[in-house]
Order: sequence, then C-alpha cells, then structure tokens
Amino acid sequence: MKKIHVGAMAVATAAALVMTGCSNGAADASSDTIVIDMWAGSQSDTDALNAQLAIAQEQNPDLKIELRTAPWGDFFTKLTTNMASGNMACVTGMNSGMLSSYTEGFAELTAADLKTAGLDSADFATGSEEILSNKGTMYGLPFDIATMLVYFNQDLLDAAGVEAPQPGWTFDEFEATAKAATTDGKYGFAVGMGDFQWQALPIAKSGTQPVEDDGTLDLTNPDFVDAATWYSGLVTDEKVAAPVASASDTGWGEAQYSGGNAAMAVDGTWNAVTYLNNDSGFNAGMTTLPTGDNGSLGLILGSGFGIAKDCENKDDALKVLGSLLSTDAQDYIASSGRSYPARVSSQPLYFESIDEQYRDQVEAVFTKAFEQVEGQKVSDNWSKVGTYIQPQLVSVYNGQESMSNVLESAQQQFGE
Amino acid sequence: MSNTNQIPRRGTLARAESRQALGFVSPALAGLALFTVVPVVLSIVMGFFNWPTFGEKTFVGFDNYVKLFTQSPDFWPALRNTFVFALLYVPISVGLSLLLAISLSARIRGRGMLRVLFFIPVVTPMVANVLVWKMMLQPQGLFNGLSQTWFGVELPNFLADPQWAMIMVVMMSVWQGLGYNMLIFSAALEQLPESVVEAARIDGARGFRMLWSVTLPMISPSLFFASIMTMITALQVFVQPQLLTGGGPGNATQPLVQFIYNQGFKFQELGLAAAAAWILFAIIIILTALQFRAQKKWVHYEH
Repeated sequence: MKKIHVGAMAVATAAALVMTGCSNGAADASSDTIVIDMWAGSQSDTDALNAQLAIAQEQNPDLKIELRTAPWGDFFTKLTTNMASGNMACVTGMNSGMLSSYTEGFAELTAADLKTAGLDSADFATGSEEILSNKGTMYGLPFDIATMLVYFNQDLLDAAGVEAPQPGWTFDEFEATAKAATTDGKYGFAVGMGDFQWQALPIAKSGTQPVEDDGTLDLTNPDFVDAATWYSGLVTDEKVAAPVASASDTGWGEAQYSGGNAAMAVDGTWNAVTYLNNDSGFNAGMTTLPTGDNGSLGLILGSGFGIAKDCENKDDALKVLGSLLSTDAQDYIASSGRSYPARVSSQPLYFESIDEQYRDQVEAVFTKAFEQVEGQKVSDNWSKVGTYIQPQLVSVYNGQESMSNVLESAQQQFGE
Repeated sequence: MSNTNQIPRRGTLARAESRQALGFVSPALAGLALFTVVPVVLSIVMGFFNWPTFGEKTFVGFDNYVKLFTQSPDFWPALRNTFVFALLYVPISVGLSLLLAISLSARIRGRGMLRVLFFIPVVTPMVANVLVWKMMLQPQGLFNGLSQTWFGVELPNFLADPQWAMIMVVMMSVWQGLGYNMLIFSAALEQLPESVVEAARIDGARGFRMLWSVTLPMISPSLFFASIMTMITALQVFVQPQLLTGGGPGNATQPLVQFIYNQGFKFQELGLAAAAAWILFAIIIILTALQFRAQKKWVHYEH
C-alpha cells in the first residue's frame, strides 16, 4: 500500500515537473525573442550567419533575435525533436530536398505574409518560389539557389592529355573524357552516394525525375531506370569509377574528387568556391551536366527560411525573415562568395567575389546551368526512399545487385 | 494496558521517521521518476500508438508489433544481424580477452605496458577507431595496398561485401572491446587465493589441468559478469556498424538498434521505434535471465 503511495507521489511530482518543463518551453517561444534555427557546419558558417543576424538586428532594433545552429545532419534530427516538443524556432532554416518531411511544422507563406516581411517574390530568381514549396503550398523563400554541376580536376585531365569539358558538352564527350582520364591508378569519374549527387546524371540523361508531378514515386520509369543503369555501369562495366568502399561513405564521390583520386565528380553549385580553393591544391574547374538526346534537365535546389506553424509572434518573425532575405543580407551572402543568392540583383556580386582567373568560367557555367532547371519533385516519403537506396547503392556499385532491382524494390516498398 | 500504549507510540515514531525518510529521498525519487520511470512508461505507451513526431497520434493497439514482424522489410534482417553479431562477438571477445589476461598474468617483462596497450582502444573515442579501421580496410587502404605490392593479390572490398562487412564489424568490435574484459579477468587472476593454488600444485596440477580445474572455476564469477555484460552490449551494438558500414551494403550489417534509430529519427515513426525497442528489451531480459539460471551450474562463488 505504502509503496503504491510513494510511487504515485513520484509519478505525480514527475508529471508536474514535465508539465512545467513544457510550458516553459512554450513561454520561451512566445516571448519577445525571435529564434533563428539554422545549420552551420563550421566556425565560418556560424560567423556568416551572425553577420546576417546583425543585418536583421539592425533592421529590427526593437526585436531580440537569437541564433541557434547545428551541423547539417544533426540539424534535421534536432528539428524533428523540436517539432515534436513544440520548440521549433520561429524562423527555421529549410532545404528544398528535406522540406517534404517537415511541411507539418511550417506555416504557409501567403502573399500577405510576404508583404509583412517586405518581400516581393518577383525580385527573386525564376523558380525560387518552387524551392521551398510542396504540392503547390509555399512554406518559405530561399536565400540561395543551387543546381548540380560536373567538377573536374584540370591537372588530372592534363596529365591524361584530355581537353577540359566545356559548358553544353554531351554525354558521349563525358564518357570519352572519363575513359581517357582513367589511368595511372586514378579514375576518370567518382560516383555519388547522396541523392542529389547520384541522381543528377540519370535525371539529366533521361530528362525525367523519378517522381511524378503529383508526388507519386516513379522510380521504375523505364527512361530513368535505363539512365540509372548506365550510371552504375560507369563503375561495373566501363570501370571508369572506383567502387564505393562502404555505405557509411555518404560523400564518396565528392571525397574522391577533392582528394585528387578522380578526375570528375558531380556536386552542387554550393561547393564551387570550396573546390576552386581545394586543400589538395589541384586546379579545379567546372562545367554543366552533359547533354543527351533528352536535353540536360537539372534541378533547381536551394535553402531558405520558413516560419514555424506554432510561432506566436508571426509578424515579428516575418520581419526577421524579410531582413534575412533583404538586399543587404543577400548582398552579404553574394559578396562573401558563400552561396549563389536567390535575389537577382545580388547575383552579380557573387561572381565578383570569385577569383579573377575563374570568374568568367563560373559565370558562364552558372548562367548556362540555371537555364535548364525545374523544381525538384519529391514524394511524401522521399527521405525514406533515400535512406533505403543509399546503402543498396554500395551493392550496385560493387556488382552484387543491379540498379533496376534496387529501384524496383524501392518502388514496391515506398510507391503505394 | 501499557503494552497497547507502547505499540502505537512506536508506530507513530516509525511513521514519522518514514515520512522524514521519504522527504530525504524525494529528490532522488523525483530524478528517478523524471529521467527513468516517465520515459520508460512513455515508451511503452508509444509502442501502442501510431506516433509521428508531429501531427495526429492514434491508438493502434498491437499493430506496431504486428507490422514489425509481418510487414517491415528490415526488421527480420536487423534481428538476424544483431544475433549474428552477438553470436560471433561474445565468444570471440570473452575467449580472446581471457587468453590475453592469462598470458599476461605470468610475471613477464613489460606486461604493464602491454596491458595499457590493449586497453587503449577502450578509452579512445569510437569515431577515431572506426576512422582508422576504415582507412585500413577500404580498397585504396593499407591492407589492400600491402597485399597488392607484396603478393599481387587484390583483396575483396571488405566493407561493401555483405559477408565480409559483418566479419569486419565483429573484428573491429572485438579489437575495441578486448581491453575491458581483459582488465576484469586480470583483476580476478591477481586475486586467486594463494592457498588453493598452492594446494593444487602440491597435488600435482600443472598447465592445462591447473587452468581448467582450478583457475577457471575460481574466476568463474568474473567470467559470468564479463559474458553477461558483453552479451548485453553486443545486442545493443550501434556505433560500429553505423560508422563503419552505415548498416550496408543493403541492410547486411544493420543491427536492431540502428533499425530503431532509423525508424525513430530518420523516418519519424516513434511508435514503431518504441515497439522495436521493447522487443530488444525483452530479448535482452530473457537471455540475461537464462544466463542467470545457467550460472548455478558453472559459477562458483565459494573460494
């Protein structure tokens, strides 16, 4: 009897504590502090965010703005937890590829909201509104836009006696370059493990995305399967790329390229500056995705900010969001060369920030690459699809499994 | 009369004391409740709900458990991987560390240093350990490089081959955990009662006979402790496969805990994750209980 009593008391105390804990969290979110939650992988990332925060603070002197950061991977785990516990920051960073799993946490951004924020979507690059939209609802506006490019190692190409690829090159030229550059223990190409990195070439080659307009998964689209099979064949048949060592090497292609082991790899425009100033010290270059019979379809990607659904000072949060995407903040991002801004008027500053010897190349490639882009289509369970496929890719690249089997079983599991 | 008076008085005192005692332990109880009881109870509840991290939670009864056993394509492989890992890891780890402890119990030179060397992997962060192993195992890594220059033989892509990947996860884990068990056994061996050992020696026990009939029975409590703890950590394995192989290729090395992690934090299906966690808990409790029952036959506590 007594034991039950003690137990009951303990549970009651605990429950009371939990409840106060919860209400504290809610109170925190509703106080006059506007919290910005954003990913930052390094000190320089954090410094850049602080600079943008300073701009927002200057434009909204009466608001208290606070920054929270976490590295990319942890950011989304933390966001999941924050959403569950009702602690989502009013202004939360989001990426086009991740949005579909988190739409429930974000409030819809209406035309009136944009007006409160002092933003006009006409000032942003074409397609910007699609980046943080899901099924026709807009949840945020991007601060940068991105697409996938082919990066090459000029030194390795020179050593193999191959011409550097030019924007608008073809898939045949791509294969020829990769073959010619596969010599002396170096590979001509490095395959990707991340969704964007490995899907870029199959999407460009087939001219189709593995998801339909309404969000239905379409991994078994014959054109896409063919193109994806060709892609994995670069490792297994053409042997112009190394087999991936482990499913935990999620950045395999990029690491092989920046380590100087592969002459070419696919990665996003967001890494352009990093590769140009690479630590290994090789001469890096970039070009568009190759063109095939079906054109050269690319995805417009990007990251931006949205407003949490349960944010209690939505108007203040919108003002902060407006400041983070204001001309000043966009000019800062552009001129620091951190990423390619979504605001059209700030874009020239990005090219100006780039070292003179690369400036023309970068501008030409970027301009060409953003000509043939469309918004990324994702299914509701897109992140599950990616999580399922990634470790399977290792078996595909090592010849133990076929690409079509993997795509088919993914379609069966997640396609319903 | 006096009797009836005295007894209630002692009772009042005892009651007062127990009330005071409760006051003193209440901070500890509150902590226990907040950080242990509440989460545990909550996870039981979650197991019976369709519990997305955000949005409507619905009661589904035993559906999560049914779904795990009948529909989830990764659950059975994860269960299998966990058992394969434990079956390989526990005997090898306990056996090898016992061997090491016995070899180092002789008064040889530099045994202190050797013990430190073997213990180093236990105290270095797992991430660093895994990184080094990955650099040795990958195709451009140390092992393949050496094998190609010395013998001209190309080794398999260890972490990308379904069979090899699990073997490598086990190998790396054994290497990592060896020092801990070795330390337990070393401590037990140091404390063998001289009198017993001497008596055995006078009776003519030597070598293997001595080890099998005298030493092992006397360190059996340590053996029992080490094997139970090793088994529990083996069933809870997560970091090694997560970092070394990413659970891959496919799901060839994905253990149950990684499955739970993926369900909960990547797929945001907390109900399913909680149900799977309770299945793991049940497995661990049952196996531990079986070991406790079996110990009566082989563990000797009297010296």
